[in-house]
Amino acid sequence: MHGFLRNTGAVLRRETERISRQPMYLTLIFVLPLISFAFFALLFSKGVARDIPIAVFDADHSSLSRKVTQMIDDTPTALVAYEIQSMEEGERLMREGKIMAVVLIPEFFEKNILSNTQTHIENYVTGANITVNGLLSKDIQTAVTTFSGGIQIQLLTKRGLTERQAMAQLMPVRFNKHVLFNPYINYGYYLSPSFMPMMLMIFTVMATIFAIGVELKRSTAREWLATGGDSIVAALAGKLLPVTGALFLQAVAMLVIIFRVVGVPLNGSFAMVLAGTMLFVLSYQSISTMLVALMANLRLALSLGGGYSVLAFTFSGLTFPLMAMWEPMRWLSRLFPFTYCTDIYVDQMMRGAPVVYSLPDLGWMSLFVVLPLLALPRLKRICTEEKFWGRM
Amino acid sequence: MNRFTRQIKSYGEQFVAVVRNEFRTIFTDEGALLVLVFALLIYATTYSLAYGSQVLRNVPIGVIDESRTNASRTLIETFNAGPNTYVAYDPTNMEEAKELFFQRKIYGIVYIPSDYERQLLGGSQANVALYADASYFLMYRQVFQEIVTTIGATGAMVEFRRLIARGADIPQAQATTQPVIYQSHNLFNPYLGYGSFVMPAIIMVIIQQTLLIGIGMIGGTWRELGLYGKLCPLGRRRMSTLPIVLGRATAYALIYAVTTTYILGLHYKLFHYPDNGTTGAVVLFMAAYLAACIALSLAVSTLFRYRENSLLLLLWTSIPVLMLSGVSFPREGMPDWLFDFGQLFPSSHGVNGLIRIRTMGASLGEVLPEIKTLLILTVVYGGLALIGTHVVIGRETREK
Repeated sequence: MHGFLRNTGAVLRRETERISRQPMYLTLIFVLPLISFAFFALLFSKGVARDIPIAVFDADHSSLSRKVTQMIDDTPTALVAYEIQSMEEGERLMREGKIMAVVLIPEFFEKNILSNTQTHIENYVTGANITVNGLLSKDIQTAVTTFSGGIQIQLLTKRGLTERQAMAQLMPVRFNKHVLFNPYINYGYYLSPSFMPMMLMIFTVMATIFAIGVELKRSTAREWLATGGDSIVAALAGKLLPVTGALFLQAVAMLVIIFRVVGVPLNGSFAMVLAGTMLFVLSYQSISTMLVALMANLRLALSLGGGYSVLAFTFSGLTFPLMAMWEPMRWLSRLFPFTYCTDIYVDQMMRGAPVVYSLPDLGWMSLFVVLPLLALPRLKRICTEEKFWGRM
Repeated sequence: MNRFTRQIKSYGEQFVAVVRNEFRTIFTDEGALLVLVFALLIYATTYSLAYGSQVLRNVPIGVIDESRTNASRTLIETFNAGPNTYVAYDPTNMEEAKELFFQRKIYGIVYIPSDYERQLLGGSQANVALYADASYFLMYRQVFQEIVTTIGATGAMVEFRRLIARGADIPQAQATTQPVIYQSHNLFNPYLGYGSFVMPAIIMVIIQQTLLIGIGMIGGTWRELGLYGKLCPLGRRRMSTLPIVLGRATAYALIYAVTTTYILGLHYKLFHYPDNGTTGAVVLFMAAYLAACIALSLAVSTLFRYRENSLLLLLWTSIPVLMLSGVSFPREGMPDWLFDFGQLFPSSHGVNGLIRIRTMGASLGEVLPEIKTLLILTVVYGGLALIGTHVVIGRETREK
């Protein structure tokens, strides 16, 4: 045990010296992660999209049609940027990317309402952008419904009902909406706890593969192993310890940015979030080690590790839910520790779920820490055999 | 032969030599091949498969029915009738519902109080509570939309019956219940397919990123091994920069012409992505996009000193670049200066233009501003590529 610690210490000293000499290390474990976190914090600093340009085709030109237009314009997301004279004009503006929706108010709009005849409002929203579509559909619908409700109240009070009776008449079933866990429907709350760990993961994979792979590429692998007293565990521990330490620091910085700068709520256990993040880093370090061991080639391991990390986002089901994916795709999603990590984030940050619900996720991630280490004997072999070195 | 034609002829020969050399480099380098040819095909296929089902349907919800009456059962049936939700559990109290929720068995809870039917029949307001989970946006949207629509429709029905009972005639009752019918139409992507929405953007970003990383990898390798000099034919001390940059660009343009034709053609058909624009518009637009991406990549590639650097330093930018194009996250939600910064990347214009042409059927004239910007970017980055290549070759000859 004493020998092991001494060997690890020797590798650690060798490694700190290498890190201080190689600017690439510092870039990967200090500079770029912080830049990427800052990017997302800035990107989501507004949190919600406001004033998305739309056009209104008002064929009625009455005071009521102008009132609806005003009410639509007053919604948080829609901005009536164009008043158009034909639907063709609306289509053209949409194809030119200047507007995202066209609202059509038909002729005789006011006349029909005043004579107690049903009329209509059509909303043509682009489906090319689902996010924008969702925001606009909801807000414009709310505006029109509110307008319509106002008309109803007027009609009913004219018939002698009190305002209260009219309300009961107008909305026999009232419904109280409770938005659980992200009440502001804030994109920053939803996306920063997913994009930032994504960045942390990419740098974990890149830095770990680089740290090990560069020994093979520059043919210094045997010297590295020798410094560790020919123990691959000591050599690996000494090599990865500084990287792991730096990445843990980055993880803490990331969490500080998520909670303090972006302002994501923390409804559950911080200890669980922290533990999940640490295991997340370790699992990707472990997988990266396995990749270098199997490929014995820095660049190829980087390509595969990079490809694997970038895919993780889709398979986490955060944007397009896993539930909607085809069965084999759902199996694939289990192969990315990122999925478990974001599950923990959703449970502990947003939902405030009891800690027990996050324990299985920790368990799965631990599996990804332990299993790849089966490749250690192979790593030792490629560190001793020259035929694996110097590959581009 | 005068000096000018001799110069042109020499440029032509150099150009052909560079193109040939570039193809040899790419196709004998499995690393570059993986990034420049296969990455686009692999990613486009994997993502398309993940988004293959396109829409989220049948989100499970739980209903706590304290009323247990005909009226409440009718309401619950309507939740099952729509495509977006189905009642998977009927927990007896909120605690039980919460547990199901944490187990991810349900994504929304509807609470119907015990006085529901009484209030409804008595002519006053009945209350229903909806608890929807906004930690997954798409789930939230489906649950929310379905329940709001259903409850609205149920309410309108009750109101309509009450009015009829009071002696109103049908058109009158209709006009009072719903003076303004609101109809929303989704254009270009009627079922709001997720793949149809996000894949065009992802494909365009992958094209740019694989070019950046792949060309960067080759540039880094040449720097690392001092291979830029190999471009120089025997007997010449140095080679002109222009044919080098043009020749290399041509090689990549030819490779990507083949792969993007497959992706925007057959791949699009296989996954039924919207395909509205004319072929001519798509081809011309893609030509401008590829030119800008290749010029940017050639310029950036002269900065890398080692083979692995482009991958190490650029891989992470894929997601930020996708975000800056304003597709997954609307541009109105980000700070203006950040959006403006994103305009420096060809992808921002490429994503925008391609979606408008292929999804929305825009003509070439309607994406002219994007094409113009892409051409300006090509000229600027092309200029930087010339300068960069010149400097790199100069440094290499000096080092020798």
